[in-house]
Amino acid sequence: MSTRNPLKDQIAIAGIGSTGFSRSSDVSGLELLVRASVEAIRDAGLTAADIDGVVVPGEPGGVNPGVLATALGLPRVTHFARPVPVAMFSMLDAVHAVHSGACDAALVAFPYLRLPWNSRSAANDPFRRHLAHGVQAVPESIAMAPAYAAWASRYLAEYGVDRDGFGLVAVNMRSNAARNPLAAITTPLTLDDYYAARMIREPLGMLDMDLPVDGADAFVVTRAVDAPDVGRPQVVVHAITTGLVTPNDEDQVPGLDRHSQHIVLDTLRAKSDFWIDDADVVCLYDGFTVITAGWIENLGWAPPGGTADFLREHWVAAEDRVLVGGRVQINPHGGSLSEGATRGSGHVREAVVQLRGEAEGRQTPDARTALVCTGGFFFNSQGLTLRRA
Amino acid sequence: MSTPTLTDADLVERYAPLTVDKDTADFYRGWAERELRIRHCTECGHTWLPFRPICPRCWSFAVDHVVVQGDGTVHLMMLLHQGPPAPGVDYTTGPYPVATVEFADHPGVRLTATIVDARPEDLVVGRAVSLTWFERNGMPHPAFRPTEVTR
Repeated sequence: MSTRNPLKDQIAIAGIGSTGFSRSSDVSGLELLVRASVEAIRDAGLTAADIDGVVVPGEPGGVNPGVLATALGLPRVTHFARPVPVAMFSMLDAVHAVHSGACDAALVAFPYLRLPWNSRSAANDPFRRHLAHGVQAVPESIAMAPAYAAWASRYLAEYGVDRDGFGLVAVNMRSNAARNPLAAITTPLTLDDYYAARMIREPLGMLDMDLPVDGADAFVVTRAVDAPDVGRPQVVVHAITTGLVTPNDEDQVPGLDRHSQHIVLDTLRAKSDFWIDDADVVCLYDGFTVITAGWIENLGWAPPGGTADFLREHWVAAEDRVLVGGRVQINPHGGSLSEGATRGSGHVREAVVQLRGEAEGRQTPDARTALVCTGGFFFNSQGLTLRRA
Repeated sequence: MSTPTLTDADLVERYAPLTVDKDTADFYRGWAERELRIRHCTECGHTWLPFRPICPRCWSFAVDHVVVQGDGTVHLMMLLHQGPPAPGVDYTTGPYPVATVEFADHPGVRLTATIVDARPEDLVVGRAVSLTWFERNGMPHPAFRPTEVTR
């Protein structure tokens, strides 16, 4: 295992932009992408001429980096890439490109569209008909999203627990989303609502799954020494990694005690000078509630199966959400379950916003360190630590 | 029912939309003969699914298959209240069970399939099950049924 980390604190997330998220956008995926991108580049204090790297994940409905570069009129690009979806693959690509010298300022732009297979209204939109692929071919498979329902069954059976832990994850995210003006859904949620929600892939129901939305996030990545002084604290990448267990086929992965999150956390911990007990901001992926339970337990906050007890112990009844140790929020922005399904870019953005001290009504006081864990159990597990410089 | 005369093209066409390719053809030829095959390394004896051309343990390319006896235990279990369309699957009549079963004679090797002839209390992690077969598009597909304990 490589514990080397020559880029530690060298690379800044110098700009951020977001369109916010909704379930009713009437503009194209490209328009969402360029709106977030322009905001991020201006936020960094840069112009089109400064951006020489373009990274856009291969999200359904996304565009090639060349299209984005052309739409924005970027005159000279020397690094471009289209990593697979889930946030940190693209962030990692951009961070490595800047650190290696492949480019000086990388735009990383994440497009999200409701799709015909996950949204009834999207299925009725003629302009989204060309996106109507990617549906799982047969019922007798747990490939991709169904894997989390299958492994949730294992979680419940192996640890002998009920769904309360998953439900509290969902309630926490909804309560947090109410403090985030970018969030797609902010109506209050109770544990009773959670249990009453329609089953989709039992044991997981409607409220265990992230919320398909329209929107975009964008980031500008530069060397910390190159980032223009725009009168606020810089946020630097302390450590970043992905992790892949083998076998990682969804039905062959070794077990709840041995999957890709474990590889990520071992590696990230070895590369970082601080860990969970010293993290002021914690964002944990919640594409499915069971993924968040996995991060909570694998980070050592709770023993295996102990997520419900952990959340109850740190629950603030008056706010209907968790504050670990009375202070640390989990996904202050509301996560993928309630801000919207950003495949983790929302988690990264929120960490940056908190470290800058710009989170207003949901700001963690004096936030200096952040831990962000995105992705699930199989082939998209990832981790990031950030510091306020 | 054996179908020894299936051409490669027949196999690909009749098992669509499943991905039948060079790596998996032997696996699906087994299905056509109601035989559940798993990859086997002739050098180190390792067994695994899905079919891939190299032994992940010793890197031997001398791989063939062994036929599993088919008894196992439900490792993962989900009930699809909605899902992809398939012949013979009607989500409006009740959730469709999909289980990942670990084979007793090959620990760690698992197959995902439906469960037939099950009472609701059988559809749980840990249930002992046995391999059976059903037909879809005229071709055999694997399934599991609860192993009879007292019935």
